[in-house]
Amino acid sequence: MSQENKGVWVFSDLPALAFELLGKGRTLADQLATQLTAVSINANSDGREHVQHGADRVFLISDPALSTFQVDGYTDALTALVNEHKPDVLLIGATRNGLELAPRLAERLKTGCVTETTRLELDAEKKFVLMDRVTYGGNLVETHISRSRPQIATIAKGLFSPIPADPSRKGEIVKVEPQIKPSTTRILENKPKTAKGVKLGDASIIVSFGRGVRKKEDLAVIEEFAQTVGGAVGCSRPIAEDLHWLPEEQYIGLSGQKVNPKVYFACGISGQIQHLTGIRGSRIIVAINNDPKAPIFEFSDYCVVGDLYQVIPALSNAVKELSKSQ
Amino acid sequence: MVNIVVLVKQVYQSADLRVDRSTKTLVTQGVARVISETDKNAIEEAVRIKEKHGGKITAISMGPPEAKEALREALAMGADEACLLTDPLFEGSDAHATANVLAAAITKIVDFDLVLCGNYSEDLFAFQVGPRLAEICNLPQITYATKITLEGSKVVAERDLENERQVVESKLPCLISVTREINEPRLPTLMAIMGASKKPTNTWTAADLSLDKEEVGFNGALVEVLRSTVSVGDRKRIMLLGEVAEIAPKLVKALLQEGALKGS
Repeated sequence: MSQENKGVWVFSDLPALAFELLGKGRTLADQLATQLTAVSINANSDGREHVQHGADRVFLISDPALSTFQVDGYTDALTALVNEHKPDVLLIGATRNGLELAPRLAERLKTGCVTETTRLELDAEKKFVLMDRVTYGGNLVETHISRSRPQIATIAKGLFSPIPADPSRKGEIVKVEPQIKPSTTRILENKPKTAKGVKLGDASIIVSFGRGVRKKEDLAVIEEFAQTVGGAVGCSRPIAEDLHWLPEEQYIGLSGQKVNPKVYFACGISGQIQHLTGIRGSRIIVAINNDPKAPIFEFSDYCVVGDLYQVIPALSNAVKELSKSQ
Repeated sequence: MVNIVVLVKQVYQSADLRVDRSTKTLVTQGVARVISETDKNAIEEAVRIKEKHGGKITAISMGPPEAKEALREALAMGADEACLLTDPLFEGSDAHATANVLAAAITKIVDFDLVLCGNYSEDLFAFQVGPRLAEICNLPQITYATKITLEGSKVVAERDLENERQVVESKLPCLISVTREINEPRLPTLMAIMGASKKPTNTWTAADLSLDKEEVGFNGALVEVLRSTVSVGDRKRIMLLGEVAEIAPKLVKALLQEGALKGS
């Protein structure tokens, strides 16, 4: 292993996630007694926010050819910077763009990459970042190390908190112009998705349902409760993919939305691992299911064994009553 | 005429995997091995493209000898030929070592136009092999594809991103990873299943692919799994029992106390 690699770097095409990565990156950089660097590509940013959120140095790239994310251009740009400065650790935000960038970049750099990490810690000798990720449908937690440098990890939104912005923080902002080749793919069109209701990723309360809801008309029960608590409505995969009761954007799970609300109500959801992985980030999980053996109960904070058709309206009433008296 | 390579991974049926809490192990005994879900969509898409444009489909799988079953299913769905990449030397491969093996195999299949694969594998969800393979083979990559249209020597694909649907164009050859949304994989007919056993299946080892033992398996891996622990929930698991009329206010009070319903 090369001893010359130094520094913790972060990159995300989503600015809010870049700040979260800076939060974790700051901790790692301090433990390693090294610098924290953010790479910002065409983010309509002068880099000062990155410094305020913990970066010691910001590489600012503003190249019209990188105005829209394309994997080959971003790979070229990051490869050039990494080869020049040789960081030890590179954290990449696990947006869909980030997830297709990280392995391509890692392969070009011939280095290891661990995607969708859930925990990052240094080993006792501070030689490696121990990177945990969940596999086999949430059943196993594997701890990985990268044998090569930089050690690349992708991190999903909501896992780490940003350091509050400190306007007095000082850092170096460096404009760079890495060489990039023309992209091999051409974007013909970007069609914005029509967002219906609250975005699940931002919701602080989510009322979610599964096959325990027997027919589409009964959705009213869920919606009424969601309205009462001011929450967004989500569902399990079969509801969106097989029954099409809600759009695909509303299903929560490993292959769907990953959420991190303050409270997550799982109504009539059995708790397939696919689903559980998507709700891992919730602070409190409340499960309502009439099957006492439903796996969801193993992964919940409050477990109500009962018929959701009775429990949900009762909860609605209780919320109305109790929030009145508060 | 389009020459398509489809990558197929055999995985345990994820819905049937359980953790044995007493032995703290993953129970795989008796769990069926199936084609990873989005790989099935990739096979289906390959068959649909072939039905429209003509050509040939080669299904490739790296795995243990049992992965032949997955390839047989791919052949039944409509692939013309299969390659099983199997060798004890491949054991312990990470995404990089796997991509090395697949790259060697597809390079052996000359003149391919399109490499199709699933967007993720159902067991690891690492999203890595496609992009790594594209990089090794110097191919353009299109990920999260929900629609593929061939137009002469070009391909146009629709991609599913967080906030938008993006339409992109690429020259061939190119690698495309597909989502579950792209199609509904067919169930092969009995005739097709019987026909599958007559289609050619090659078995290639590291030696057949001129791969050195340092490039593949545990030795070739860039990432090492230090340990693997069974995931057990760390939730409070408070059971609320009794009459609904009593439980409901109790639960709501608890949530209010935790500050979880405030700000609503």
